[in-house]
Amino acid sequence: MNNQKRHMGLKAANRLSNTIIYIILIIISVIWLLPFIFIVFQSFRVESTWQVGYVIPQQWGLQNYINLWNSDFKRWYLNTFIIALASAVLVTVIQLCMSYTLSRFRFKARGPLMRFMLILGMFPGMLTMIILYRVLADLGLTQANAVPGLILVGVASSGMGYYVSKGFFDTIPKSLDEAARVDGATRFQVLYKIILPLAKPIVIYTILTAFMGPWGDFVFARYVAMGTSAGYNVAVGMYSWLTNDQISNWYTTFCAGGVIVALPVTILFLCLQKYYVEGVTGGAVKG
Amino acid sequence: MKKVVALLLALVMVFALCACGGGQTQTGPGPAQNPTDNAGGEQSGGEQSGGEQSGGSNELAGTYDITVWAPDAAVELTKQQVADFNSSNEFGITFNVTVEPVSEAEAANNVITDVDAAGDLFFFSQDQLSRMVLAGGLNKLGQGAAATVTELNDAGSLIAATSGSDLYAYPLTADNGYFMYYDKSVIPEDHIDSLEDILADCEAAGKLFAMENNTSAWYIVAWFFATGCHSDWTFDEAGKATGFDDDFNSANGVIAAKGMQKLLNSPANLSSSDVASFANGAAVVVSGTWALSDAQKILGENLGAADLPSFTVDGKSYHMGSYNGCKLLGVKPQSDATRAAALNQLALYLTNYDCQMARFNEFGWGPSNLQAMADPAVTNIALEALSAQNAYATPQPNIPTAWWDIAKVIADDVKAAGDDDAAIQAALDKYESSVQASLAG
Repeated sequence: MNNQKRHMGLKAANRLSNTIIYIILIIISVIWLLPFIFIVFQSFRVESTWQVGYVIPQQWGLQNYINLWNSDFKRWYLNTFIIALASAVLVTVIQLCMSYTLSRFRFKARGPLMRFMLILGMFPGMLTMIILYRVLADLGLTQANAVPGLILVGVASSGMGYYVSKGFFDTIPKSLDEAARVDGATRFQVLYKIILPLAKPIVIYTILTAFMGPWGDFVFARYVAMGTSAGYNVAVGMYSWLTNDQISNWYTTFCAGGVIVALPVTILFLCLQKYYVEGVTGGAVKG
Repeated sequence: MKKVVALLLALVMVFALCACGGGQTQTGPGPAQNPTDNAGGEQSGGEQSGGEQSGGSNELAGTYDITVWAPDAAVELTKQQVADFNSSNEFGITFNVTVEPVSEAEAANNVITDVDAAGDLFFFSQDQLSRMVLAGGLNKLGQGAAATVTELNDAGSLIAATSGSDLYAYPLTADNGYFMYYDKSVIPEDHIDSLEDILADCEAAGKLFAMENNTSAWYIVAWFFATGCHSDWTFDEAGKATGFDDDFNSANGVIAAKGMQKLLNSPANLSSSDVASFANGAAVVVSGTWALSDAQKILGENLGAADLPSFTVDGKSYHMGSYNGCKLLGVKPQSDATRAAALNQLALYLTNYDCQMARFNEFGWGPSNLQAMADPAVTNIALEALSAQNAYATPQPNIPTAWWDIAKVIADDVKAAGDDDAAIQAALDKYESSVQASLAG
């Protein structure tokens, strides 16, 4: 045994460990991807609409996607997209401004404010659900008007998620700000022209999380839309196909919906990942 | 500069607050149904309506904007039926109706979230009655309406719509029970009366027997009612449970548990009520009329339906029982008595002979209307099996929500108890004491 080991060259050892690592990775990725592949296959199955015990369809077709198009799904998708997009833009702006302020400005209530928000953030958001519902109902932002209501709720507390980006801003040397200020830049120009280009990865991260949150929201979205199809997002709407008396008619359409829902998130991530990696490896201070 | 900005921000905040206030005062009187949360007051409104309705006056004439929550499949038909009501009613009532697809199974969850914002009329399954009455989500029927409903509908469906001594909803169907769908190519016709034969056939063919014992108390009672057990509740006026009389932990209960173990310990056991199981290896699925068209699509010619089988314990045979329940139509409490009375008229219309027949013809929903039930056209293999099972069924009464959660673990506990009588008895005693504790709480 020992002899054999000694004979194994560096190259061979490398190859062996690589092989093992790749096998493990392949197994993990198969487990990970299987459900998604399963859903994609099911969404093209047209011979029946209920759950079956096999994965590869016997008959392929687009009927499920046509069903989606003819159902309320369009409306739900648009709702979700509007909410996610609006949240992504507003949350990013608010959160970055907040982080910049807390990272660069020194004002009296800064410490207490940060502590206060930290503590406030520790309460689970679900606790506020009932009172938030009441407020939204009184403002008329529930049921058919759930979309602006959900945007409001999503954006309102976004400033409190400042930690990560503030932490990142803190790592950008203040000397850069000062240099820019000496050259006559306003505070806003410092943020816009100096900090943000250096903080690309964190901006991308903020946009991604802000977009993903409402995209997958279910509990609160269901609560606010409450039985009004026009106010559903995709998660709530598609869930309504899963009741006992519906599922056998809607199962494959549900899978098709799942594929359509996954698409923009996948595309968004693939596009932004390039910048994400670029930003991370770019480094903050050069020379 | 700073000061100007600070001032501006302060002003924005003040305006924001003003805007909120304005919004509230606007939404108050804005909608036609000015919502209040005094359930008592609203219920008296409903009773008034009963009186008005028997008079048949034209005080109800007018146009009302209403929302109806109906299951997805019934949305179009319901729109049509409301339109028919508009053109045919003698009171001069016109409803501008919005029909939203809300499943009967989800109605209570949504109504209880916010009664004010709920649909004015909603379809629901009767197991939600208790919760809705407690939450003030149902308008009690006035005397006139109650008399009409009592006269026209099946006695079992009236039990389903009753909490305490009052009717709270209009029966829509009397078909919410379960029976057995089976695959004729696996189970021969002469075996369908015996659980033991069916299980042997399933095991021999490598097929499954699907009955939702592990997650639903609704199906579990089938075993206990088979051996003559009972489970009864009493309620006070407000809809709160006050008493529980049940003998699932008696000697008969132990026999029932042993029968249940025959299925639970069989390799053919599958806990499901989804007829899609037929596509995944099941030869028997215990389910209800709602699943007929799906089952037909999957099994085609091979689909059979029959009452539940009998099981044999210690040489004695027991025919499995069941709960037979209803789907109901509820009316939300209204602050405006005229509006409430108009809605009651619509509810009566939607649950009458014609509308129930239309629903039977479109979706195969078994009617609760006596005249429709007697109609020879009202039949299919599912309704035949259901009516065969009805001979052994118990009308499902109003049951508190907590019971469903406590009772659904019986199957797991009974299976874990093994074949030791004392352990089975202990499992059933645990169920009994949990229910009593929930009553006290």
